[in-house]
Parts: sequence; structure tokens; C-alpha cells
Amino acid sequence: MRVIIFSWEFPPRIVGELANYVRALAVQLVKNNMEPYVVTYHDYLTGPYEEPKGTKTYRVTNPVRTHIGVLTWVLTLNQEVERAAANIYYKSNKQIDLIDTHDWHFIPAAVTLKKALNLPFIYSVESLEEHRSHGANSPFNMAIKSIEWLGLYEAKKVIVKSEWMQDEVTRIYKVPIDKIKVIPPKSTTWMKEILETYKSVIGGSVSEWLTN
Amino acid sequence: MAHELTVMMLTWEFPPRIIGGISPHVYNLSKSLAKNDVKVYVVTCDFPGAPQHEVVEGVEVFRIDSYKNPSPDFATWVYLMNINMQKEAAALVNSLDGKVDIFHAHDWLVANSGIGLKHVFRKPLLATIHSTEIGRRNGIHFDYERMIHETEAWLTYEAWKVICCSNYMVSHVKWAFGLPEDKMIMIPNGVNIQEYEKNQNVDLSLFRRRFALPEEKIVLFVGRLVYEKGIHVLINAVPKVLEKVNAKFVVVGNGYMKEPLSNLVKSIGLAHKVIFTGFVDDETLRNLQKCADVSVVPSLFEPFGIVAIEAMAATTPVVVSDTGGLSEIVEHDVTGVKVYPNNPNSLAWGIAKVLLDENYANRLKNNAYKKAQEKYNWDKISQQTKTVYEAVLNEYSKSFWA
Repeated sequence: MRVIIFSWEFPPRIVGELANYVRALAVQLVKNNMEPYVVTYHDYLTGPYEEPKGTKTYRVTNPVRTHIGVLTWVLTLNQEVERAAANIYYKSNKQIDLIDTHDWHFIPAAVTLKKALNLPFIYSVESLEEHRSHGANSPFNMAIKSIEWLGLYEAKKVIVKSEWMQDEVTRIYKVPIDKIKVIPPKSTTWMKEILETYKSVIGGSVSEWLTN
Repeated sequence: MAHELTVMMLTWEFPPRIIGGISPHVYNLSKSLAKNDVKVYVVTCDFPGAPQHEVVEGVEVFRIDSYKNPSPDFATWVYLMNINMQKEAAALVNSLDGKVDIFHAHDWLVANSGIGLKHVFRKPLLATIHSTEIGRRNGIHFDYERMIHETEAWLTYEAWKVICCSNYMVSHVKWAFGLPEDKMIMIPNGVNIQEYEKNQNVDLSLFRRRFALPEEKIVLFVGRLVYEKGIHVLINAVPKVLEKVNAKFVVVGNGYMKEPLSNLVKSIGLAHKVIFTGFVDDETLRNLQKCADVSVVPSLFEPFGIVAIEAMAATTPVVVSDTGGLSEIVEHDVTGVKVYPNNPNSLAWGIAKVLLDENYANRLKNNAYKKAQEKYNWDKISQQTKTVYEAVLNEYSKSFWA
């Protein structure tokens, strides 16, 4: 099973908690005989790379160097994410099963790849603009919220890390609760539940993976 | 090729959405390509009352939801709009089984969509650069402008070939983005001469009276009322022209300079000599172009200068500033009058010369009409464009993407 993971942070670039979480996720997927590719940003360490413990990464940088804010920066980075994902897709003879995109940054890329190449995607929520900006509703915040909404609307499944976040996603964006899977990172069944959720998106049962 | 050549045009404006010159350009180019056996899909921003999908003279037009929440600024809106444009275009190509041969993007306003689609579908991207930020702003002064400038550079970098509408723009774009000469192609912009030949026998004298007294000559300006179009130069030339000839100045278009300039006109007591019409419909515009005694294009920066060609098609003599694409369109004393840019004295001299010498004006407009017919003909332009598509596809067929 091949999954492309989108995350705007991945070691050595660490902004918050997401970088180490995504690395742990990729390492565990490799241990379970999955083939994860992580597409992420780095200012100059660009291109495909084999990380320790078998994770494959593809780092892209922003072709537009000057920006007026994080929003325009993210929006021009998405085409490079698409390019990296498309390169992985075509090199693997179009055998990509799904995309797992973490937080809002690369939702435009995930949506385009879904529409173009029929690749389903999961939106893994780390945090929401509503909480990051304490309910601010400026055009800037609304734009990020509209991207989060697009991701929740187009995703096959939404993964959150706590029941509180499940409630919040339901409350703020009116997402049906059965679309949202709660998988706490500290849970002993964390990887099993991640694999089950991936499998529920691709189709088939997880047992055929685990026996292979 | 197993199927007919298929092109997807990406443009932020397409009639009835008209903001600048890209809209009529893509409209006429697409229509003429369709007549020359190219299948054209246009993906563009929506417009109140215009359908999401329609077929216009053989061209498939798809209008996307263009992000209507308030945006922090124009550039951010452009990037947000591109999320939707790219998403909808991707779904459309998918529904066509990927049978689109070329993506053709017009200006940085659709750079993200064009570049993303190129990589996702691995098909060649062509870019037409109609204008540049560094030209519009006469330099790059702020991060906001630099961001747009770099987005333009990114589009030209990703494009297989870059098309410009004048030799001036070819050299300008080459300089602005450091592009190699062999990546650049010049294909002129065109004019729809048939539109001006319609209703030749209709008497326009009643129409003319809505704008000017019978004894007044009409001096016409058509364009956005912004600094780079040089409308302030024309307003400064008004009293100088009136010293020599009785004329009415008709200013068509909108922009941020409308209010300050109409206040200026009032304050110097010439409100009865200058009319600001705002935006007018196509028919009114064409009739005005036919009625005018002289059409003026006083731009400071002009990549091409379509209004000069339109005036030539309408058999109206033109006075243009000797800059950019205008320098190539007009041959001084043969197809029009060239004056010094940003110089009201020179402009007033040119206008008066045409208005005071009828034989001279007739000679200019007849020569100009022939030139418009020969060179700025959409059928010919679309064939040149098709040749570029075929050459690009031939190169592409030998690449590892094919």
C-alpha cells in the first residue's frame, strides 16, 4: 500500500508537534510493510530523499520567494507539492492508494489530485484556525477557514486526535460525525486504527495487509 | 494525432466578464482556433447571469466559482480563486479522460492553475504574457509587487513557450525574467474588423449628437483610467488643443483617476468640453470609434495597444504615444501620428494636426485600415497560434512525459 503524506513540517524542519508526529507515523507505516512518501517543505534541502528507517521524503521549496503573509506563501507552495506528488505517482506507475494531508496547508493540492487522478484523501486535523486565531473573522482567517472547510468537504475521512476535536469539527464545520475518526496518538491501538482508517478509504480489510 | 488538437485556455476574464484586454483576446483567439479545427475549452471566472457552462461559437466555456468571501488583498484573492479554478479544471480534464493536449495560461492571474495542471497531467503549458507587474508599476517597489513579479517569473519558467503580442513585449519579458530568446514567440493581437463593418449604412449623426455639437470634432480616449494609460496627459492637452480647434473630448472607461481628473476638468472650467462616459456597451463603443474624428492612445506603458488597432479598423485616424507596442503598430505619417510619451504639448500638436488637415487624416485612416486587415486578422493569428501548438506537441512527443 502506498500513501503520500502531506505535511508542512517534517524533521529537520520542526515548527510544532506535527513534524515528529508525522515522522513517527511514517516510521510505523514502514514497520507495517506500507510504503509511505512524505511530501514536505524545506527552504533548500529539496528533492527526493531516503530517510533513516526506510521513509521516503520529497521536499519542495517555494518558487515565489517574496510573500506578504503565510497565506500567499502556502498557496504558491501547493503547486510544488502537486509536482512532487505527481512525480511519485507517475514513477510508481500510478500505483498510489491514498493521500493523507495534515492540517490545512496542502488541502488545495490534495483536492486537485483527487479531482485529476481520482486519488482519495484523508484530512488529518492537528489544529483548526478557529482555535489558532481565537475566533477572529478577518478576510485572512476566513480564507484559511474556507480551505479547512474544503478539505473537510472533499476528504473521504477525517482523522482527529481527541474526542474534543471531533466535537469541534462537528460544531464549527457541521461535518457528519461518522466521517470523523478519533485516533489518539498515545493509544496502544494507534497504528492499528490508522491502518484500519486507511483501509476503509481504499477498500478491503486490514487483515490482508497484516498477513502479507 | 488520434483526436483533434485540444487546448484548455485558462483566463480570469472572458465575456461577459471584461476587465481589460485579456477577455476579448481569449474570446477572439478561441473562436478563431475553433474555426481552424482546434477543440478549445475555456476555464474562467464566473459572472452574474452568465451560465456555468455554455458553447460559444464552437468554444466550450466553463465558469468557476471565483471565491467571493472578502479577501485580504487582490493578489491573495487571485491565489484563492486559483484553488477553485485548478480544482474545476482538473475535474474537467479527468471527465475528458485526460484528452487535453495543451494548457494555455494568460498572465500570472492563472499561473497557479496552469502550473499545477501541467504537472498533475504531465502536459505542456504555454503562457501568453499580456503585461508585467514591473511594467505596470514602472519598477518593483514593494514586497506585494515583488511577489506578483516572481509569480510571473515562475509562470514563464514553467511554460514550454512564452507568447507575447509585440516585439516590444518580447524584449521586455526577456529582460524582466531573464528568459532565453528561443523560448519567446511573437504573435500579434488582433481586431475583429467585421464588427466594424456591420451596419455601415446606418446614419450615426443622431448618435453623435449625444456626445458632441455638430461643429465640434470628437477626440476619443478608450481605456482604463489609470496612470499607465496616460489619461492625465490627455486632460493636460485639452486646453492646448482647444486653442486651435473646437473639439469635444470623450473619455470611455473607469479607474481610480476618474474622480480627480473630472474634478480638475471642472476646476479649469472645461466640464462642457470633456465627457466621462464610464464603461459603455460594445455597440456604443464601436459607434463612438466610428464617429470619432481622432482616437488618442497616450499610454506611458503599453504592451500592445489594442485600442489603436480598433480605431484603425473603425477607420478613425490615431494619435499614439511612441512607446511599447504602439511604436510598432503605427508608422508615423503613414498609418497614424506618433507623439512623445508623457508630453501634453506633443500630444496636443498631434491631435490638432489630424483635426486641421482633412486630407492628411484621410490618408492616415485609409492606410491604417489596410494594415489592420492584413496584419491584425484573427484568422491569421489563430493559425500562427496553432502552428505553435503543433510544434510544442511535436517536441513534447519526444520527451519522457509523453
